[in-house]
Amino acid sequence: MNKQIANGLRVGLTFGIVNIFLFLIKFPVIAGTIIKKIIPNFIVALFPINPDILDILIFIGLIGIWAGASGGRKLDEKSDNWLTSFVGGAAAGLVNALLIGALVFILGSLTDAHVKINAYLAAILPAVVKLFLLDQNTLNGSLTQFVFSFVAGALGGVLGFAFRGQWFASLKNKWNAAWASLTENPQIKKTFARPIARIALSALGIAFLLFIPQIAGKYWNYTIGTVGIYVLLGLGLNIVVGFAGLLDLGYVAFFAIGAYTVALLTAPNPHHLMWNFWTTLPIGVVLAAAAGILLGIPVLRMRGDYLAIVTLGFGEIIRILATSDLLTSFTGGPRGVTAIGQPTLFGKPFSSDTDFVYIIFIGIAIAIFITIQLRSSRIGRAWEAMREDETVAQAMGINTLSHKLMAFAIGAALAGLGGVLFASRNQFTGPEDHNLMVSINVLSVVIVGGMGSIPGVIAGAFALKGLPEILREVQDYRILIFGALLVAMMIWRPEGLWPTARRSMELHSADPEDPESGEAKTSEDKP
Amino acid sequence: MKETTLRAKSSKPLSAYRLIQALLGALFAAYLIWRFYNVFLDGTPSYGADSWLRFAISGVVLGSVYALIAIGYTLVYGILFMINFAHGDIMMLGAFSGYFVFEALEKIPSPVIDNPNQVFLNAHPVISVLLAFIVGATVAAVSGYFLEKIAYRPLRGAPRLVPLISAIGASIFLENAALLLFGSQRHDFANPVQITRGEGWNIPINGEVVILPYTGVLTIALSILILVALYVLVQRTQLGRAMRAVAENKSAAALMGINVNGIISRTFIISGALAGSAGVMWGIHLGLVYHMVGFIPGIKAFTAAVLGGIGNIPGAMLGGMFLGIIETMGPAYLGMSFQLKDVLAFSILVLILIFRPTGLLGEVLSEEKV
Amino acid sequence: MNKRLFALLSLLVVASMALAACGSAPAATEAPSAATEAPAAQAGGAPAACSDALGCAVFKPGDSITIGLGAPMTGDNAGFGIDADNAMKLAVKDAGDFQGWKFALISEDDGGTPEGGATVANKFVSNPSIVAVAGHLFSGATGAAVPIYEAAGIPMMSPSATNPALTQSGSKVFNRNAFTDATQGVYAAEFIYNTLKLTKIAVLHDGQAYGQGLAQVVNDEFVKLGGTVTTFQAINPGESDYSAVLADISAGKPQLVYFGGYVAEAVVLVNNFKQAGLAGVPFFSDDGVYGQDFLDRTGANGEGSYGTALIPPASAAKDKFDAAYLAAYGEPAGKLSPYSWNSYDAATVLIKAIESVAIKGDDGNLYVPRAALVAAVRATSGYEGVSGKVTCDATGECAASGPVFYVDHNGEWVLP
Repeated sequence: MNKQIANGLRVGLTFGIVNIFLFLIKFPVIAGTIIKKIIPNFIVALFPINPDILDILIFIGLIGIWAGASGGRKLDEKSDNWLTSFVGGAAAGLVNALLIGALVFILGSLTDAHVKINAYLAAILPAVVKLFLLDQNTLNGSLTQFVFSFVAGALGGVLGFAFRGQWFASLKNKWNAAWASLTENPQIKKTFARPIARIALSALGIAFLLFIPQIAGKYWNYTIGTVGIYVLLGLGLNIVVGFAGLLDLGYVAFFAIGAYTVALLTAPNPHHLMWNFWTTLPIGVVLAAAAGILLGIPVLRMRGDYLAIVTLGFGEIIRILATSDLLTSFTGGPRGVTAIGQPTLFGKPFSSDTDFVYIIFIGIAIAIFITIQLRSSRIGRAWEAMREDETVAQAMGINTLSHKLMAFAIGAALAGLGGVLFASRNQFTGPEDHNLMVSINVLSVVIVGGMGSIPGVIAGAFALKGLPEILREVQDYRILIFGALLVAMMIWRPEGLWPTARRSMELHSADPEDPESGEAKTSEDKP
Repeated sequence: MKETTLRAKSSKPLSAYRLIQALLGALFAAYLIWRFYNVFLDGTPSYGADSWLRFAISGVVLGSVYALIAIGYTLVYGILFMINFAHGDIMMLGAFSGYFVFEALEKIPSPVIDNPNQVFLNAHPVISVLLAFIVGATVAAVSGYFLEKIAYRPLRGAPRLVPLISAIGASIFLENAALLLFGSQRHDFANPVQITRGEGWNIPINGEVVILPYTGVLTIALSILILVALYVLVQRTQLGRAMRAVAENKSAAALMGINVNGIISRTFIISGALAGSAGVMWGIHLGLVYHMVGFIPGIKAFTAAVLGGIGNIPGAMLGGMFLGIIETMGPAYLGMSFQLKDVLAFSILVLILIFRPTGLLGEVLSEEKV
Repeated sequence: MNKRLFALLSLLVVASMALAACGSAPAATEAPSAATEAPAAQAGGAPAACSDALGCAVFKPGDSITIGLGAPMTGDNAGFGIDADNAMKLAVKDAGDFQGWKFALISEDDGGTPEGGATVANKFVSNPSIVAVAGHLFSGATGAAVPIYEAAGIPMMSPSATNPALTQSGSKVFNRNAFTDATQGVYAAEFIYNTLKLTKIAVLHDGQAYGQGLAQVVNDEFVKLGGTVTTFQAINPGESDYSAVLADISAGKPQLVYFGGYVAEAVVLVNNFKQAGLAGVPFFSDDGVYGQDFLDRTGANGEGSYGTALIPPASAAKDKFDAAYLAAYGEPAGKLSPYSWNSYDAATVLIKAIESVAIKGDDGNLYVPRAALVAAVRATSGYEGVSGKVTCDATGECAASGPVFYVDHNGEWVLP
């Protein structure tokens, strides 16, 4: 029992501190709005109070229940019953409620004393404090908050016990069994294993992919296009980081070279060359690859983290040069280049957002083809050997430098292709499109998706570039959430959303207690 | 892995590369000499001695701040071999803490007969500054501890990219948390009146007066003090020995009875405290605090750490100074726009790594690990 | 390989399905009885004005007539977006309701970047209830967004996108009620040369589109007038120490330093002046710098600095707006950005234009003909707003007043 109380108090403290942070950034107000969207309207209508206050209460209530449930969680098999759960939940609820109540009380008193809190804490406007106090005076408001959170915690403890009870476990088992019978069914497996079925399904899938842009509408085609360009970039960086194991933080430089190539050659300003888009596309790709080789020759001898900082520097150099007075007459300077040429097809413009989705799909298809071909080739195996142990690879007669250069060049070429498509689709490119965050985002796409995995890159690009567009309600908070998700992801699923089978095996067979095991893992050769 | 041996082996067949290296070096040296002639000897010099002194003061002070941050980077890198991308953001938290301390002290009245409106901040400047440093360093140290505990410790043993991404995530999180908490506007540090920014000793030179700012001298003094203290800590104390042992070989250190996780935690606490002090120093000398305040200095400081030889504490100091001076004097010496100072800094970094792959003073790392 | 391809393909399908499914979601969920495009030949109640290619936006009773705002709401420049959003919310509130329909404002974060501008513009044109856009705020984002609105027939009124090129491409939809960089630069150079009678200046900019363009104009114009520019330098935005670049400038012994950029960097520059040997040399800057922030944060260092303002002359309307702003947000208008007044007017001009063209159909719906609205905004004339009298010329320049130069004297902006 004592252990349970101690656990409850500790959990309550954690939740309370997190809650204080969330209050101070005004999160409960927005979170409640979103939760309310999920709850059916007629239930919301049952509570005839100020909807903004309802939002806050819903949010605090749910967090309180969660706090209670973890406070009253099962600590050992024997002493898990209604009472311990209740006591643990109540303890967690108490601490949580105390902290929330105190915070609200302090904020309320300060506001009553006409202190301008928002000079220091930007979100805490008097109107927000009034919402936190649930439209009552300071004492009553904070007491209500306290009681509400406390009750929610105690309730959470009991609810937690109910849910981990027998009936919940059996429900879970049943669901698992049903799922297994569907996926493990030999008949179904056999049907899907038939080449005909595969081809048919693939054809169906391709047809569907071709069909989607027709119905998706302008905005979503634009978003699909952006996600697609990130897939392209991710596939390129995947070769550099995932296959060859070279950490490149300046990947955006090659993207910029592609973008600026098409921009400067096709736009009316600053050079009025007005070349055709299709002519400039290969030029952009080749120039980016050439830049990759040029940069690679001196820096690829450097060790991993030195490479990271040097490539990062290279990315910044390209961006600063593009914006600088020195090159303004050449690159358009900070204003960038507008009215960039767009593709045509048989003399007709082929440049709507829908058309671009197709072009980007083709680019992705090419990139996937190249990746798959390379991976199963001699070069791919050399990369893999290099990544695992460079000395051994060299001893086996692999020319590491030229293989690294090749990875760098191919990655750069794909980034260049992405840049060309990006600039042409937006009809604009400028230095701000090519800042450090692009490199970091692409790297995150690769890692979050799963290093070395093609479907992983697609899933990663969708998760990192597509989801934020869908979650625009929380726009002020989405970058914060993105940061937290990156950390959480690395802790609980470091192999990525859709890892290659081998990598996931590598990461999970490693004994987490032993600091050496992850690095010392020997690897079998891949068929 | 084991790349030092590799480099030694592969140096022979690459004589063409060596030749290009030498050629590049000669070209660069010739260019520097030509610029020297242009700037100092040819006709009317572009800058007087007063200007050079101003560049030097700016550079050394900026360099000390970089050095302060870089030492924290180097410390963590030396032990965990990971780039703590969020280090600059820990510094930001320290800077905010210092800002709040000064704001609070400015509100406490401390009247004397001559000046009935005097506030605590101006009445007791030494206590105020010390308090700001203590609070800033403590907050940053605690943040560093929790950062390691939450974002890095579960990843011990994972491939090296995993903690790096986690660090990037933590960095993004901290920046945006500060944005949402404190708003996007830049806050101004309210220094005690005795060390008002921009005030300092006047040095007459060349018919002009050059100001040596008080806050700048404080910055330089603090970074030297911290460098010495840290050097002693790492080289002479029990904790320092344990840290070096963990850096050398984690499992062997564990076998010797060293609590590896405890040592790593303590390393993060120390590096956090350093970042916090750097943040407060930043606020006192440069006066601005906002959510992105640590981002650029963080990247620069990592560059400085690599320049000096990563893992090497005096190297971080030297690298920071070097970078600061290049940024301020370099563009003037080479006659380029100050907009391009980062281009210059990164180019020098590349050049130095090509010629001296282990940085200016050489790295102090365990070869096995890297 | 076949298997992999298959997995891949299915992933692509699922991902695009999810995106497409969400594609229809916003319109459907945000406004259950969302306004729908009226095709040219729609029967029943649609007025004749809707028969052209752009058609009408249709509002059922209870719908909101919506104005979009694309602005940086997060990041370093969030202050601009938040200020514009604040001011425009007041405008929407003051507009009250129109024949039973309410106005609404949707603000989306474009980060001030071209990419963000295009994203937000695409989102806005997909929302049939948005008939006009009071933005975007930054020139880069605006430039990327204009072609998208052009195609959809959505009129714009930007309170702050001042890049001269924006109105020179012949856009029908783009209007702004801020004066351009070119106007401001020429005025500033003339003011320095003719009024202040200075002949040797240094010109500095922040390397961003706005500041760089402005500094270039000042530089060229000043040389044309017969003055000397001792140094033309640029800084990187976002840094906290510019003493080195200022030391470089001070070596040229200028009589004044002109800076094209924003307040964040201007404050750092001015506070570094003394240390760089520029004590006593006046600092002269633009409307991105003018504001309470500059005064508060430079203190005595800022004494004698010049700022450029589009602050409207005092009027009853302005006083009323200032009071309302202060009451609603706890901060005075013009604190977060200098564009509070312009923002309010931009939104109000759009609302007036909507009111002037909207037609109540026989079926009880409200019809806003898009083509007519584009023309109506461009035809705005003599509207008395908080920023002065707003009149648009044929290219979409609607600035109520030219730039006015103020000097910082004892912590207040006063006329020199």
